[in-house]
Amino acid sequence: MTTIADELTIERRGHAGSAARRRTNFVIFLGPAIVLTILFFVVPVIIDIAVSFTDLSRSLRISEFTTEQYEKVLRTDRRLSQVIGLTFIYVFGTLAIFNVTFGLILAITTTAIRNVSGSFFRGVWLLPRMSPSVLYILLWLWAVSPTEAGLVNQVLMQAFGLDGPLDLLTSAPVALIIISNGFIGASMGMIIFTAAIRGIPEHLFHAAAVDGAGTFAKIRFITLPALRWPISFVTIYQTLSLLVSFEYILLLTKGGPFYDTTVYALYVYRRAFESGQYGYGAALALFLIVIGVVVALIGWRFFDMERLLQRPRIEVH
Amino acid sequence: MIHWKIGTAALLCAALAGGSAAFLSATPLLAQETVKLELWSRQDPSGPLRPGNVVKAAERLNKELAAEGSPKRVEVAVRESPAKGFDDDALQLLKVFGIGEGPDIFIAAHEWICAFQEDGFVLKLDDYISKYPQHFGTIFPSLWSSAKCPDGTYAIPQDAEARMFFYNKKLLREAGYDSAFVDAMPERALSGDLTMDEVLEIAKQVVDKTKAQYGVLHRPNKGPDYIMVFQAYGSGFVDPETGKLLLERDKLAAAFGWFERGVKEGVIPANNTAMEFDALRKEFYTGNAAFWMYGIWDLGSVGFPTYGLPQDEKAFFADWGWIAGPAPQKGGSPVSLTHPIVYAIAADTKEPELAARLLGHASAADLNTDHAVTTTHLGIKPEQLEDPRYAKAWPLARATDLLKITKFLPNNSQFGELNGIIYAGIQGIESGRLSAEKAADFVIEEASSTLEDVIVK
Repeated sequence: MTTIADELTIERRGHAGSAARRRTNFVIFLGPAIVLTILFFVVPVIIDIAVSFTDLSRSLRISEFTTEQYEKVLRTDRRLSQVIGLTFIYVFGTLAIFNVTFGLILAITTTAIRNVSGSFFRGVWLLPRMSPSVLYILLWLWAVSPTEAGLVNQVLMQAFGLDGPLDLLTSAPVALIIISNGFIGASMGMIIFTAAIRGIPEHLFHAAAVDGAGTFAKIRFITLPALRWPISFVTIYQTLSLLVSFEYILLLTKGGPFYDTTVYALYVYRRAFESGQYGYGAALALFLIVIGVVVALIGWRFFDMERLLQRPRIEVH
Repeated sequence: MIHWKIGTAALLCAALAGGSAAFLSATPLLAQETVKLELWSRQDPSGPLRPGNVVKAAERLNKELAAEGSPKRVEVAVRESPAKGFDDDALQLLKVFGIGEGPDIFIAAHEWICAFQEDGFVLKLDDYISKYPQHFGTIFPSLWSSAKCPDGTYAIPQDAEARMFFYNKKLLREAGYDSAFVDAMPERALSGDLTMDEVLEIAKQVVDKTKAQYGVLHRPNKGPDYIMVFQAYGSGFVDPETGKLLLERDKLAAAFGWFERGVKEGVIPANNTAMEFDALRKEFYTGNAAFWMYGIWDLGSVGFPTYGLPQDEKAFFADWGWIAGPAPQKGGSPVSLTHPIVYAIAADTKEPELAARLLGHASAADLNTDHAVTTTHLGIKPEQLEDPRYAKAWPLARATDLLKITKFLPNNSQFGELNGIIYAGIQGIESGRLSAEKAADFVIEEASSTLEDVIVK
């Protein structure tokens, strides 16, 4: 007589003689993902490590293997501390203000109003993500143009009586890169949080209402606890995404004025591709990979992702 | 049956005879060998005939080869790069050579040529230059120095030009300067009487007293013009004894100080480096800026065709003009910069001789004059001055005055990178992130940590 546990094990693992099938399934289902991971993550990392120990420069020639690039990173590069500080402000600012908080506000408000209006507003907030990066930034460049023709200046000058046009690209470049990235980043949080909010059983809200809970109490005691996993996921995922992406910054400010908006990933790009110092760029990129892995691990621990990823103990039929 | 066989044989014979005749008559054609030479050129509206003249030169060379009885014929394939400037283009081409995909011939800004020489990508041309005096013998001797690296000549000058400060006379008059003062400015600049700070003063008067918003505008990317300011304040960037890069802190700080004062006075816009090239030109040519630091060809490429500046010499100088880069103080030396573009041949081309002859024909006086007069660049040979078309193109003749005091960018293989650092320093000053002193320190620190063999004084 078999126990229920045995039956479950057989159901999960298959019957005897299925080892070959399991191997086949492994290859079929996980093979492509493994190949892609190796091709687009492992191999580039290995190449990056190899290049970082060379003097590969503008003519793509290697004349010696050296640790000189690491000496530069650790000793002589005086820009690096400023770049790292700015990267922290940019990632933390975008994440805290937009990707999580604003995404959450959008999700809560658009699920609280009528479904049609909610979908409409979510659609509007998805537009920046759907439009090509270049187009999106062109609109930004027009909006913040330092002339009277810029959208922001038109509004400020005509509606608020400002004397002359503002040059936000020079006076507030960091705020601009945070806002322009945040408008796009918020939509991802919004979608994920909306899905999670929709997944909360409705009777909980009714029960809370019967108990006399107001809107904020419902959010505080029902919605937010249910969003713990999505918030953790969005935070870690977007941190990594913000750390390595720089295309909007490159298009909007080119990393300037001076080095004001040169975040770490853009700094790697500028060193490698604008100055032709590929070996040095590779060494800098390796630190970025290390920082990314460390941030992911800290996030994993901090948010206790292991527990969140466990199989549910109660099966709901 | 026999009749049929004879008929077949006759047909076969006829076919064979015809075939042989056709083959024999075609033999000279078959023996002709087409040599394909690939030319790398940046897509550049300010000089479409740089590659265009090489393509035309192939016809002349092929005629010459036919006359010599040579079976070889040259075909030029132009490979255009979309780089925005010559610096980006050179960096791109260095990579292309690095992976073994380089062209046979390329067009580059002269200061990059030694970077190609250092990596062994470019052919030394001294022997070819002396072998073909009919092509290269009359090129202005001064231009050759822009094509030299420490051990020889590696390029052929394609053109020259003059960099200056254009100015809007109308605005200056509106600001209260009389015509005599305004018209005398070029002379005063050349004699060292007009100073860099006086330019800022004049520009300030224009900004304060007229509707014009800007005093002095300069290019918004890495390039040669602003180097004039550094040369005016004494930076040569190369140690004449060793040929190594030389950075002199005080001289750098003095030049950066001029930009700093310009921004503080509200004459140079803080966001000059964030503006678009076309927007800057528009501001100047439509009368919203007093000075525009750029080069003579801008008149031919943009000033005349796009903004309708008067093409008649007298009418032009009534309201517009240009001055040399003024001296740093009264009695000092003014500056002007010429930035020759050069032709070069790849070290690994299979046909160096043909490539050299091809470039010889591309450097013909008439073809070069076509380029000069259509794009307002200066010619490379004295015989071009006699061409009526050249004489008619008055901006060329007038800009030739500046050649007396002109300087080149240093032909140091690392100058391109150093220039990028200098540009970042200007950007730091104008956007208020650095003081002149800090900018000098920044350039020295950056250059010392990223470039090799930099002498700091």
